[in-house]
Amino acid sequence: MTLLEAASALRRGEVSSAELTAAALAAIERLNPATNAMQLVVADAARAEAHTADGELARGAGRGPLHGIPVAFKDLFWTKGVRTTAGSKIFAAYVPEYDATVVARLRSAGAVLIGKTGMHELAYGITSSNPHFGAVRNPWDRDRIPGGSSGGSGAAVAAGMAFMAMGSDTGGSIRIPASFCGVVGLKPTYGRVSRYGAMPLGFSLDHVGPLTRSVRDAGAVLNAIAGYDPQDGSSSRRPVENYVPDMEPSIRGLRIGLPENFYFERLDPEVNAAVRRALGTAESHGGEIVPLRVPDIHAINTVARTILLGEASAALEPHLEKRDQFGADVLALLDQGRLLPAPDYINAQRLRRVMQREFAALWTRVDCLFTPTTPTTAPRIGETTTTIAGENEDVRLAATRLVRGINLLGLPAVSIPYGSDRRGLPIGLQIIGPPFAEALILRVAQALVPAEVPVPQL
Amino acid sequence: MSKDWKKIAKASGMGISEEGLDRIAQTLDGLEQNFRPLVRTLQPETDPAPVFRAAPEDAA
Repeated sequence: MTLLEAASALRRGEVSSAELTAAALAAIERLNPATNAMQLVVADAARAEAHTADGELARGAGRGPLHGIPVAFKDLFWTKGVRTTAGSKIFAAYVPEYDATVVARLRSAGAVLIGKTGMHELAYGITSSNPHFGAVRNPWDRDRIPGGSSGGSGAAVAAGMAFMAMGSDTGGSIRIPASFCGVVGLKPTYGRVSRYGAMPLGFSLDHVGPLTRSVRDAGAVLNAIAGYDPQDGSSSRRPVENYVPDMEPSIRGLRIGLPENFYFERLDPEVNAAVRRALGTAESHGGEIVPLRVPDIHAINTVARTILLGEASAALEPHLEKRDQFGADVLALLDQGRLLPAPDYINAQRLRRVMQREFAALWTRVDCLFTPTTPTTAPRIGETTTTIAGENEDVRLAATRLVRGINLLGLPAVSIPYGSDRRGLPIGLQIIGPPFAEALILRVAQALVPAEVPVPQL
Repeated sequence: MSKDWKKIAKASGMGISEEGLDRIAQTLDGLEQNFRPLVRTLQPETDPAPVFRAAPEDAA
């Protein structure tokens, strides 16, 4: 059942929030020992919130489609009175006094907070194999990573523990777990959703967005969280719109860009075939496929990595003396950032301007771009290198290769599951749009995927 | 111009192990190799953005 289906059932009185919440908690009890997707469960508080929601709904005081729906948050979003660790030993006992803006907005929309999801330490990595809180496991194959850094959010949604789990994305951290776990992951435009109260990693690269089991669900969540927030200096004042696409939207006449360079150059053949099938489906629905060359994504990724190294080390500077409190991979990245000269960071921000301008020219020729989200399906836990098309590649660099640059450009992108490989592991398709074109990319996504994503057998 | 990352790290007293230094130096060398040629393409009039905007007209 999707979030919007549950919302309809709630409105018709066919189910209560208490029942939906009890079912989510039961799923967590049954499946969390195997997946470690949830890092903290607030069962009593969730039951109480559900009871309140049922009372409000019974009185006709419904607050919209999220009212009474059990949801989870990546454990880097501040939750008032609920521990927020960011997957780090440093914040292991941190209890915020405020809700992050996205938490507050979902609470005010009536959502029921059931708990916090596991993640890569400090959101600085893509495996979610956390040295302090244990490895999150992929519900499709528990020997494999769920991706990251929002790995617990991807795994929890795929396994049916929550209708939605909020994630954050600095270099692919919503879209990678969406791809590896077979769910929908939406990274909105930079500025569309407030970052206030999300533990920062890369100030100018961090994005906040939902992971869900349907495209329409992602739109419904975006409806609740999008919009100006004076507490976030990068928040946009642009008016929001309705982001929930029709059940069967038209994409007739839309120009869909097919990159001729970079994105299809080194892929698992099954991933390549799946994305090309998606292009065929889009064409059969009236979309016009436009082959084109995209700017140098390798260079864009280089600049994004440089900025992230500097920003992450700056964000964590007050804690860097506690070296034994960090996992080895995160510490190595933080050390690299400390060694980066200030002019390199500034020049990276200057290059970003140039690259943004170059990339913007694409949108005169196409309405969106189709690419794979990740070049492979989920790697095994513990793997540090992977072989793709005969070449060895670092797992982290491979997983971020097709997604990281979009953070530098601040563009909206959604990953949707599109088929699976010979082992039954999900394949992700990435749809990228111009700034603030969330409604458009969700419409295209909805035209391509079934109403609800496939569910793993656990 | 290649940089001696190990010397820089040691001079800044960061307390990184020898093994850690090897790994970091290798990664930073790789990044440097890709990044430096890009910097050479920058025009003097290109400013960095103090607050990044996804669309230039979107200033709050």
